[in-house]
Amino acid sequence: MRYPFWELQTGYGVLIAAVAILHVFISHFAIGGGLFLVVNERAARKAGDADRLTFLQRLSKLFVLVSLVTGALTGVGIWFCIGLLNPAAVAVLIHNFVWMWATEWTLFVVEIMAAILYFYGWKHMAPADHMKLGWIYFWAAWLSLFVINGIITFMLTPGAWLATGRLFDGFFNPTFWPSLVMRSAVCVMLAGLYALLVAARTKPGESKARIVRQTAWWGICGLAAALPSLYWYWKSIPAAVTAAAVQGLPTPVAAMHFSYWFAGVMAVLLVAFGLIAPGRLRVPVAVVLMAAGLGWFGSFEWFREAVRKPYIIVGYMYGNGVELGNAGMYKTDGYLSHIVYRSGDDGADLFRHACRSCHTMTGYKALKPAFDGTDRAFITAIVRGAHLLKGNMPPFLGTAGEADAIAAHIEKDLDRRPMSAIYGLQGLALGQKVFEMRCGKCHPMGGRGDKTNSLTGLTREDYGNLLDNAADMGVGMPAFTGDRVEREALIDYFMTLKAGGGK
Amino acid sequence: MNLPDSDFLPAPLWLITSLHVLTLSLHFAAMNFVLGGILIILTGKSDRRWDNPAVRRVIALLPSAMAATVTLGVAPLLFLQLVYPLQMYPASIVSAWFFLLIIPAVILVYYLLYAAAFAAKGGKPAGGRYLWPALLGLFYVSLVYSSVFSMAEHPDLMRRLYAQGQGGFQWNPAAGDYAFRWLHMVLGALTVGGFFSGVLGGEDAAVFSAGKKIFAYGMAAAGTAGLAYLFSLGDLLGPLMRSPAIWALTVGIVLSLGSLHLYFKRRFLLAGAALFTSLLLMVITRHALRLLMLHQSFDPASWRVAPQWAAFLIFLLSLEVAVILVVYMLRLFFSFSGPDLKMPVRER
Repeated sequence: MRYPFWELQTGYGVLIAAVAILHVFISHFAIGGGLFLVVNERAARKAGDADRLTFLQRLSKLFVLVSLVTGALTGVGIWFCIGLLNPAAVAVLIHNFVWMWATEWTLFVVEIMAAILYFYGWKHMAPADHMKLGWIYFWAAWLSLFVINGIITFMLTPGAWLATGRLFDGFFNPTFWPSLVMRSAVCVMLAGLYALLVAARTKPGESKARIVRQTAWWGICGLAAALPSLYWYWKSIPAAVTAAAVQGLPTPVAAMHFSYWFAGVMAVLLVAFGLIAPGRLRVPVAVVLMAAGLGWFGSFEWFREAVRKPYIIVGYMYGNGVELGNAGMYKTDGYLSHIVYRSGDDGADLFRHACRSCHTMTGYKALKPAFDGTDRAFITAIVRGAHLLKGNMPPFLGTAGEADAIAAHIEKDLDRRPMSAIYGLQGLALGQKVFEMRCGKCHPMGGRGDKTNSLTGLTREDYGNLLDNAADMGVGMPAFTGDRVEREALIDYFMTLKAGGGK
Repeated sequence: MNLPDSDFLPAPLWLITSLHVLTLSLHFAAMNFVLGGILIILTGKSDRRWDNPAVRRVIALLPSAMAATVTLGVAPLLFLQLVYPLQMYPASIVSAWFFLLIIPAVILVYYLLYAAAFAAKGGKPAGGRYLWPALLGLFYVSLVYSSVFSMAEHPDLMRRLYAQGQGGFQWNPAAGDYAFRWLHMVLGALTVGGFFSGVLGGEDAAVFSAGKKIFAYGMAAAGTAGLAYLFSLGDLLGPLMRSPAIWALTVGIVLSLGSLHLYFKRRFLLAGAALFTSLLLMVITRHALRLLMLHQSFDPASWRVAPQWAAFLIFLLSLEVAVILVVYMLRLFFSFSGPDLKMPVRER
């Protein structure tokens, strides 16, 4: 609440994901690529393989241009983005880990210097000295991963730090090692994929086949090591967090499952065009391999970010920047008195600080279609019971009056006609729509977390009583405020429900 | 709920401030080389300048200098955000789009400098096509930084601008606060660029003479802009002059003039040391000014200090190793026995 809120016309996750996925896809190559270059240079020099050395020089040009420029600057870009989007969380990270970040910076200095000298030193340096630069580069790059890995994993699994506040308890947290192993494997895999892109442009011939085959092994070995370590990583996350993710976040979980197809595509292409017919590797195939690699790793990164919900730092700070440690204070004082940067519209300011980091009104995770046809009282109840909704939402800790102010702000943009008019529905179809809009936000039907059983087996009169007395069932259960047509349609729909899930 | 309190400084304030000042000075030195180098090359009169070995050497060094600028810019921003989060984040959020566009701008500049270097290596003129847009990009970046960092020192202005619009499109309207400061920085870069161009082209009398002129006139112009900035401070000028910062400012000016003298005598190493020390003292003066501007709204000494000495030791050790490795790598690189690194002059 101490910082202003950037009213970005898209979801925060979209911007972060776009920059972060691009960065990790390059930065992991920047590490693995360093190892690839120096290991292959050593082998090529030992074997007197001039073609392979030429290939490595070409690769090092791509390496410098991609990793030093876009890789390094998208890293700074993530820092800029998160500072703009969630300054409270970044401030927590910087205050706790500034010396680790500063250490990473020293490694970064070495890395940049080594990469530049390595690139310019191909023709001017003694081979042994040149390879020394390569090794210095690789170890500096990998150690920078070691350091940043501690901070990234801290956000998902702060572990004992929550109790002790000690730096190294947070740094060497429960997912530190599995994440480090998995990311190291990904570095090796991506080194193979990027190098295949350059190898694919080599003139056909015996040397191309040899280079492609040798390079493909990097992709295969990296992928083979990444998959089990991903499993290890998943198992190292506290069960409560994974259970909540599986229960409440079907989209990123499904994306993670879908990403196995990307891994499959990579495996097939690497074997087919890397080992069986390496001479036939062409640029389009190498591009498909890169795309599959991006798809797989991007899905993981998205999943990793999403699985934290509703937190930005699990157990410490919610995604909207509200600190758990200040929960009591907010419950007493409300949010508004703590919001330093105000726009003059209290409802809008409260909406920004409570909801806007994930939701827009009409764009990303839009609220307008979720509330069209409902009313202020209903929205107020939903805000107050936000933590009960699907999708692992953070709780609203402000006052009842502030929840109402948020509802009033949301309501301004809504279509207030009856749902039958808005959606042109009647009868059971209308009942189903009313259910989706007014009940389904907390009572999912079918799939994981199905709550159909709680709504079946009642008489028409019982359903009527249920709706009439809904407001008495505690905070978060809104009164039924729809019109008579909607009420009857909803009861009709209830009558069709069967125990065991769905209709 | 009894959770750790993250509102603390993990080292005494003086230590963090010292690191900030030192790394910011290093960042400025690299940035001045890039900005000043480009300015000098582009405003050079002779059409044959692209063939000059000193010019080609500067162009070849620009991408590496840009890498140094970016890398050395990370640490001071980190330390600044550590001590001044309540000022830095709001200022950047109010101007969010301008601030965020720094990243694509720098990426573009970086690639343009690589393109210029590769073109020069291939014997092609690298002027208008690459260096002019790169210069514009650098102007953009420096102007946004000046605007945002200046805004960060005015909490009321930030609140007012935020109330006017929350979309991140607010530009700091108090141009008087940062126009001279920005101009001083650009002219300072020109001065440092003049210094480096003379050093790199020292063996060529014409280049050295041009470098000398740029160094001397640039310093006079930067000094004038600096003076204008001081006078634009209004009520703050008095307190600044009465603060210990006056010593830093005075010694900085004397060292600048001293570096000019040493440069004319071709004692480049001493001149460079004097110039860098003067830059460092200017950064210290600037820091003192920030404290004066903020004194009614924020005192950095009010932070709770909870030192993380073990982690600091790791940083110190890795910094030491990094310095040793950088020197070692440079020695490896320059002890080559292969062909000369200096680029051949394009045949006409």
